[in-house]
Amino acid sequence: MIPPTEGSGALILAAVAVLGFGAFAYRAWKLYRYLRLGWNEDRRAHLGKRIRDELVIYLLQRKLLKRPYYIRGVAHAFIFWGFIVITMGTVDLLASGLFGLRMPGAESGFFVWAVDVFAALVLASIVLALVRRAFFKPARMHIALDGYIILGLIATLIVSLLAFENAGLAAGYLALHQATPPLADLLPLPYPAGVAGTVFAAAWWVHVVTVLGFAAYLPQSKHLHIVTTLPNVFFRSQRPRGALRFVDKIEEQKTFGAATLRDLSWKQHLDGYTCTECGRCSDNCPALATGKALDPQKIVLDLRDLLLKEGDALLKDSTATGTAPAHQFATKPDELWACTTCAACVEQCPVTIEHIDKIVDLRRYLTMQEAAAPPEAQRAMTNIERAGNPWGEAAGTRGDWAEGLGVPTFAQMPDAEYLYFVGCAASFDRRNQRVAKALAKILQAAGTSFAILATEETCTGDPARRMGNEYLWQLQAQQNIETFGRYKVRKIIASCPHCFNTIANEYPQLGGTYEVVHALQLVQDLIAEKKIVLGPGAAESVAYHDPCYLGRHNGIYEDPRAVLDAIEGVTRMEIEPYHRERGFCCGAGGGRMWMEEKVGQRVNHRRVEQILAAGDAKGERPTKVASGCPFCLIMLDEGVGAKGIADQLKPVDVLELVASRLADPAVLEVERATT
Amino acid sequence: MRLLICIKQVPDSTTRVKVAPDGTSIVTDGITWSISPYDEYAIELALEQKDNAADTVVSVISVGGPRTKDALRQALAMGCDDATLVTGEGADTLGPLGIANALKSAIDELKPDLVLCGKQASDDDQGFVGPALAEALGWPHVAVVTKVAPSAAGTEIWKEVEGGHEVWKASGAAVLTVQKSEKEPRYPSLPGIMKAKKKEIPERPVTGVEDPVTIEIVKLEPPPARGGGKIFKDGDVKAHAAALATLLRDEAKVL
Repeated sequence: MIPPTEGSGALILAAVAVLGFGAFAYRAWKLYRYLRLGWNEDRRAHLGKRIRDELVIYLLQRKLLKRPYYIRGVAHAFIFWGFIVITMGTVDLLASGLFGLRMPGAESGFFVWAVDVFAALVLASIVLALVRRAFFKPARMHIALDGYIILGLIATLIVSLLAFENAGLAAGYLALHQATPPLADLLPLPYPAGVAGTVFAAAWWVHVVTVLGFAAYLPQSKHLHIVTTLPNVFFRSQRPRGALRFVDKIEEQKTFGAATLRDLSWKQHLDGYTCTECGRCSDNCPALATGKALDPQKIVLDLRDLLLKEGDALLKDSTATGTAPAHQFATKPDELWACTTCAACVEQCPVTIEHIDKIVDLRRYLTMQEAAAPPEAQRAMTNIERAGNPWGEAAGTRGDWAEGLGVPTFAQMPDAEYLYFVGCAASFDRRNQRVAKALAKILQAAGTSFAILATEETCTGDPARRMGNEYLWQLQAQQNIETFGRYKVRKIIASCPHCFNTIANEYPQLGGTYEVVHALQLVQDLIAEKKIVLGPGAAESVAYHDPCYLGRHNGIYEDPRAVLDAIEGVTRMEIEPYHRERGFCCGAGGGRMWMEEKVGQRVNHRRVEQILAAGDAKGERPTKVASGCPFCLIMLDEGVGAKGIADQLKPVDVLELVASRLADPAVLEVERATT
Repeated sequence: MRLLICIKQVPDSTTRVKVAPDGTSIVTDGITWSISPYDEYAIELALEQKDNAADTVVSVISVGGPRTKDALRQALAMGCDDATLVTGEGADTLGPLGIANALKSAIDELKPDLVLCGKQASDDDQGFVGPALAEALGWPHVAVVTKVAPSAAGTEIWKEVEGGHEVWKASGAAVLTVQKSEKEPRYPSLPGIMKAKKKEIPERPVTGVEDPVTIEIVKLEPPPARGGGKIFKDGDVKAHAAALATLLRDEAKVL
């Protein structure tokens, strides 16, 4: 179709284009300069993974299509794909209007067809989005004028597109051999003679001016994500999800943690520009759900707002520090300390924003720079320093749980194949000592060559690192790495997912690289290889609770379930819908195990309610809830106790269930033969 | 205002103490040493004065061998301005009066306005050095202090008494021995730790200090191991209650 830009039209279009793109460029340049206030984090490595992420997360919209957001996810995907196709059409329109040039393939039947079909899908999705906003407002969603403006602009674009196509057809503007837009062709509006041409021109101009207006508005709005998602996904962290950022040469730093906006990396600021305010992070946050001050979306948006507010002043004066982000509001520290680092937000974010890294950077400032961690957290850190465990139990008694069990120490058995890294909880907490004993019994039954470090073991440093004390984590990690080195440890079993995560994913930052397995992974192998045999037992329904640092942080969902399924008589129950990647935290991660929880409902109490509700929905409550984490066990124990249902729902570790069914294969065979 | 805190390095309260084969000392291998907890409260109390009045100078001093420097560094990391170590041959074995005399000679030079000590050390629990130091200096002494505040005519001192506290007033220099208070001793900031690492800790010789009272430890022994508990299993609850009452009266003798 010939653009209606004959005569001075092209000049007017050029002027509008300069205004629209000029406004976009001006604002974009400003935003870029603000972003570069952040420190220069290198995110270039792992190019292959980055390209794959672009394809899967950006082009295929993988992270939008997640439970329980499938319908809106699909609607977004249509708007997104439609946008790509229609933007090509727009480029063609502008090129033809301004210079009379056509984009190659713009007149092909396939492209014309695609534009129309996607226009219809976009329009349908826009209606869905508008209806959702107006009538089914999601609890956590930020409903602002911004959203309506954007939906209105997109609707205007699509309607004007179909209108000018349709009017153009009616006016006979279709060039010879040019494909007919299929949908526009289906809407034959009865234009009086001569009017079709005017409608075509008007709708064409409305469309093009809306596009340019959109360009101008874009960087002022949350809709900027259509531009920033591309780099944000590309430069997403390629660290294992469970690994926090390493602070190299920490003793030489001048300040610690994010003291100012300059101490957050440029990527952290890009995250802020990219946030779509969809609220999925908030929707899934256990702290927010139980009435704490934390709202992960707010964490991201507050940093963005502070950058937009103080960016100019910081650019003007390179010595200016601006407001400390950790004290942006009086309640900010409460928000930061409420985080359990469960990664529900990170898991759900469609545009790969890194919430935990921001929270930890700000905690690092509070803890290391200001020494302003909550008193209980300070006590836990002092205990780690002095006793090598956050509870402050006597370091000399670390190996006492193993007395009389025939479990060797590395000093006694230096050629053991595996190190069982017991961790503080299983070493000192009486309830969890039973889990350590269960694992020892399983390993002995399987004939696995293993030893422990007893008093030579010390806290991995994980709680300290997550409380923001990077320095203490490094000291603890170095000490363990030295000990591992002394015994030439290569393979490590951990029964605590937090120990497992930090040794597997974070110790390599300090040069400690080992083959690390969580106990349940190993036990799954032992069962599969028939190195242990499990005897029969009573029928029981056991719910499986996903520990965050096994599931979301390390993707270990199947092994623990396979172990449960291998136990005769055990019927595994899923805690729907809060299971697998939507598993709800027990409340103890991120160092919260050692901090008071006084605000709102206790997270573990909510978790127990979810377990009961999932059972009720299935018509049968489980009699046990099994997990693979000592902190989950402590929290669930407290939860069922507080609810007075300890006799109905018994928290256990999967390892205990396995150990209680260990059978001598020979005896079992005889028993089975005789019954 | 210049505050001086006298601290003692003791085995950390998380350490399981073992009696050495000689029966009169403890095994020091593998012990984590830290500042005696009441001394930490004294440091916190002094640092709070500094938080409120920036011109306050907080100094720490200790008597002991080379490893005592770690305790002084910890105090510096918490925010104390300077530290002094009284050391030399025999510093480890001084009796409480000797330590008080060693501190006195330093205090004569350092001239603090107030001296704070923990009310007792967590290792020997004698509570001797503070009052002895006050005596040696000829200064007044207030015990079980939980709060200090500057006032028009000197210093207001909160002293714990049964069920409440008394407010005392010191018009001049005094020795305060500090009780545990609500405010937990602060965790050092990392800049504090880094600064403390680089700070010089001047030493004073312990030679020539008078130590008139020598204490000889005759014997150390661990407390008797706790006996196993008794659990009433299965059976009639009423019978359990009756049996429990009997045991509490006849065996435990608490009824």
